[in-house]
Amino acid sequence: MKGQNKGNLSIPDEFAIKIKSEHRREQIMRYAPASVLVLMVLIFSAIAGGEFASINNLIAVLNQIAIPLLIASGLTFVILLGSIDLSIDGTVGMAGSLLSILILNTKNGNDFGIFGVLLAIGASVLVGLLIGVIHVKLKIPSFMVSFGFMYICKGIAILSYGGIPASISGTLFVALPKVSFIGIPFITWVAIIMVAIAFFIQEYTPFGRHIFAVGTDERIPKSVGVNVDNVKIKVFVLAGLLFGVAGVLGAIRLGQGQSQIGEGLMFPAQAAVVAGGTALSGGKGGVSKTIIGVFIMVVLNNGLSILHVNPYINSAIEGLIILTAVSLTVAKGRKVISK
Amino acid sequence: MKEELLFSAKNIKKSFHSTQALKGVDFEINKGEVVGLIGENGAGKSTLLKVIIGTEAPSAGEMFIKGEKFAPKTPMDANQHGIGMVFQEQSLITNLSVGQNIFFGYEKDFRKLIYVNWNKMYEESQKALDNVGATGISPRKKVLDYNFATRQLIEIAKVVNVSLRSGSDNCLILLDEPTSLLNENEVAALFKEIKKLTALGHSVIFVSHRLDEVLDITDRIYVYKDGMGVGVVDTKDADERKLYEMMVGRSTTTEYYKIDQQIEPDEEVVLECKDLGLSGIFKHVSFELHKGEVLGIAGVVGSGKEDICSVLCGDDIATSGEYYLKGEKVSFKSPNRALKSNVLMVPKERLVEGVVTTLSVAENVAMSQLKKPSVGPFISKRKIMKQANSWIEKLHIKTKNNKELVLQLSGGNQQKVVFARALASESDILILNHPTRGVDVGAKEDLYTLVRKMVKEGKSVILLGDTLDECIGLSNRVLVMKDGLITGELDSPSTNKLKQIDVVTLMM
Amino acid sequence: MKEKLIKAEKKGKGSQEFVKYFSFSAIIILVLVFWMIDPGFLNRANLSNLLSDTAPLMIMACGATFVLILGSVDLSVGAVCSVVNVLAVFFLTMFFAQNGNVLGSALMGYGLALLFGGVAGLLLGLAHVFLKLPSFIASLGFMSVWKSVALLVSNSPVSIPKLLRPAVDWAKISFGVIGLPLVLALIIVITFYIIQTKTNFGKALYAIGGNERAARIAGVNINKTKIVAFVLAGLCAALGSIFLVAKLKSSTPTVGDSFTLLVIASVALGGTALSGGKGSVLGTVLGVFIVSIIRNGMIFAGVDVFWQDIVFGIVVIAAVAVSVDRSIKNLIVK
Repeated sequence: MKGQNKGNLSIPDEFAIKIKSEHRREQIMRYAPASVLVLMVLIFSAIAGGEFASINNLIAVLNQIAIPLLIASGLTFVILLGSIDLSIDGTVGMAGSLLSILILNTKNGNDFGIFGVLLAIGASVLVGLLIGVIHVKLKIPSFMVSFGFMYICKGIAILSYGGIPASISGTLFVALPKVSFIGIPFITWVAIIMVAIAFFIQEYTPFGRHIFAVGTDERIPKSVGVNVDNVKIKVFVLAGLLFGVAGVLGAIRLGQGQSQIGEGLMFPAQAAVVAGGTALSGGKGGVSKTIIGVFIMVVLNNGLSILHVNPYINSAIEGLIILTAVSLTVAKGRKVISK
Repeated sequence: MKEELLFSAKNIKKSFHSTQALKGVDFEINKGEVVGLIGENGAGKSTLLKVIIGTEAPSAGEMFIKGEKFAPKTPMDANQHGIGMVFQEQSLITNLSVGQNIFFGYEKDFRKLIYVNWNKMYEESQKALDNVGATGISPRKKVLDYNFATRQLIEIAKVVNVSLRSGSDNCLILLDEPTSLLNENEVAALFKEIKKLTALGHSVIFVSHRLDEVLDITDRIYVYKDGMGVGVVDTKDADERKLYEMMVGRSTTTEYYKIDQQIEPDEEVVLECKDLGLSGIFKHVSFELHKGEVLGIAGVVGSGKEDICSVLCGDDIATSGEYYLKGEKVSFKSPNRALKSNVLMVPKERLVEGVVTTLSVAENVAMSQLKKPSVGPFISKRKIMKQANSWIEKLHIKTKNNKELVLQLSGGNQQKVVFARALASESDILILNHPTRGVDVGAKEDLYTLVRKMVKEGKSVILLGDTLDECIGLSNRVLVMKDGLITGELDSPSTNKLKQIDVVTLMM
Repeated sequence: MKEKLIKAEKKGKGSQEFVKYFSFSAIIILVLVFWMIDPGFLNRANLSNLLSDTAPLMIMACGATFVLILGSVDLSVGAVCSVVNVLAVFFLTMFFAQNGNVLGSALMGYGLALLFGGVAGLLLGLAHVFLKLPSFIASLGFMSVWKSVALLVSNSPVSIPKLLRPAVDWAKISFGVIGLPLVLALIIVITFYIIQTKTNFGKALYAIGGNERAARIAGVNINKTKIVAFVLAGLCAALGSIFLVAKLKSSTPTVGDSFTLLVIASVALGGTALSGGKGSVLGTVLGVFIVSIIRNGMIFAGVDVFWQDIVFGIVVIAAVAVSVDRSIKNLIVK
């Protein structure tokens, strides 16, 4: 009954073959990030030998991974929606700067202790809320709103310490960067715990499931009565929270608050998320994939610095990774319209 | 089985902009029944489904479910009354698990304070799958791990589940073109499911273009045409021919299609296709187009006729075979290349792919001109406006002035703007894709006259008619397609027009 | 329902008119405000300073306008500017060391720097068109690459040596308060205006920005138009950067960092919507003036530099919010 014709493949068969090859491609892509990571570790071990593949270096990597992990996790949620958050450099720096002037420091008499931490993170959460609300209610693309807020937050950061950074002097906060538990530094532990919570939210809460739905096709959850606007705003708030924690930890580790804490953190986070396999179009990927992506970026950075490669190159490599990873996951086809 | 009325709709009317999609239709379905709903494109089938499921509100008319008045404002309202719909485009979230999809939006039913009992949800999901007899599907696996046909079953399970949970024992399931992407085995499996559903007392509305399938699975069949109900037949009394006659039967008046203006085409072949194919869509397509000819292509949705047009106008690239323009081999990689060779398509979806609403009438008319009216090297706005005015007059386009926003014109006039654009481009070969879709009768006649004029001036036309009648009426010859292959090539001279039935048998 | 769509479309056009009147009045109001804060704002020296400031931005914003009319965006304009900045001085000094000829070195140096801008635009256009990368992520990726390149070419500011000064002295020529750079920039604006209204390419920009699918079916050459728009944007970023070299008589590898935001602010304030299909370089000129007045005014009033970030961040969001095309039903924004 269906189009059978002389000799070669029938039309439904051709169609089935097309679908199958698309499927196979997706299967391969699933294992790509982990393979890239393993490959990288092997190559660096081969070239740099003991300096790279040592316990010391492992600890260094664990140290370096904390903040990128937090940031990339927050960014992952935003990208799962199909949106993006370019404000990272600003919000992280802002949180760190605010922390440094709120807790015991060399610049003013404040000593808010734990409340200072909460306030600093709260500011970042507030920024996330604003980004979400403005994006959703005023229908401005997320990249534009967050881009604007990057500059606003940068300005607020510098404003908070009036150009001259404050050094953290509280004994507890000064000691924290040096504390370790089974070899893993305290700061990394905080990151691990927060990311675990993020993963839990993503996998085990209805909110997490709704994020995937909105990112896949927001008309579907809408028709079932899910408040899509709220989901979006909550995602930006969650991202803001994670960025805030990153900023606070950054300031603690640095010992002082500077807008520079956030400088240049956006590209590697972006690269980590796409390299890990989360698609920019939304609805695909997740925190667990991003973890691999973060390892790829940090190990790459680590290896290159051991090999004394010019650090200025890092930005270029991150850019190339972003371009490559996205071009592999983006929808192809002659009639696809991308702007 | 005793027949108990489950759902009825009386005198439903629905208008969009200036078109009336439904002009007062009725529908009734009993418990445990499968009722088919058939009709050509634009007959109103999808619109009725949207009205029933609550995504569109009717302009007039009433609906009753289990004897109670029923007027849903959202799909959730319909769900609460035991009505669910499986849409043509799947609505599953592929990266979530089967269970999470089945209960999507209803997770709060499993919530205890902040804790969600996922295990319980998976148990219930398994029950939902068992309910429709869908075996071999694991609720915890991700949807993207399952193929299309299985996903269809999951959707049905989801829809039935939601309806049942609302407390109804008898649900109404709407299936919109459920078999378009299924092979024979999968269709058989789907039909087994449907029978299981009806055995349990649920009812199914089955909308499809595949008349053979409709005859297989339904108890009764409603036929709609042009937004009105033509009649309802018992399936055991019907056959494909009779159904199709009901679907398309129109009185052909020679004046309407200006058949007296039909001319005989030249001998010269302007376009020739040899064994043209697009992987998975159509194959072995060969035909000739002569100068001054109107060549119609007839076929049901999915027959491949639209895709041939896409290939010929450069929107798609053929995967096999070749085509020649006046003897020279060509292969258009984009509509721009095709335009350079004087081939242009008038597209089907006016607002989406026809006019640019942010530009004026004048700018739209000039859009397909590779060399725009200019003074020296610079495009002249004055000349573009003058050109637009001349076309507005020639085609009787009702507009205030050529600067008017295209959006404000009626459907028919917008279509005339698209025609003006095609004519202003001076292309020789025009592909008309459902050119009178959504256009009022007066404008239709203007367009038919226009087509006659075009071919008289030496242009050649490939036509996808909005109705079979139009296709036969306007064309010199008709190619008939079915499932991606050409099944016939029939002459339709002005003196001896084809009978619809001759074409229909080749289409089905 | 159609009536609603028409009303919204008219509102969209209306808001375009509103933005134009707004822009004019904004300029007048801002000038008055800054003048009231310190009357010296309008004195000859500052006025000439202000006007010469606008030239590089104006040129860069011209190219960016075309990209935005398409409905795309180029976030790499600042980074391209930085690279061209260091390359220009690098090549200038290199050629001069070889042959001692100022004019020759200038032509070669500026020429190669300009070429880079074109190449950068070409790469971005190709990546967007053939790899189907959304423009914002493609330009973001290239932005990080070019940032590296700029720092690798020269990681600290380099002054133009005295002997080479003639290569940049042309920037000092002025006619009253209006400097040569501004005159040249305005000539470029006029050229772009002509391209925008009187060429096939210009018409294609608006068609694609308005409805890409319809433009494609109508036979508009989508790929070529997009690539050319990005190449022009790259050339404009480069040319603007060369004007900066002439103005500052030096190169800085991070000079372009702040320009991306300023460029987008200028175009948005000029009435070009992010969604595409609308806008004009003439509006952009107004936007450039607003941005420059704010910038210059704040510096003149002694406001700390970091306030600029805050102010322009807010300005950009506000400008885009006003020009958003709300006529599209069920607009899905990501």
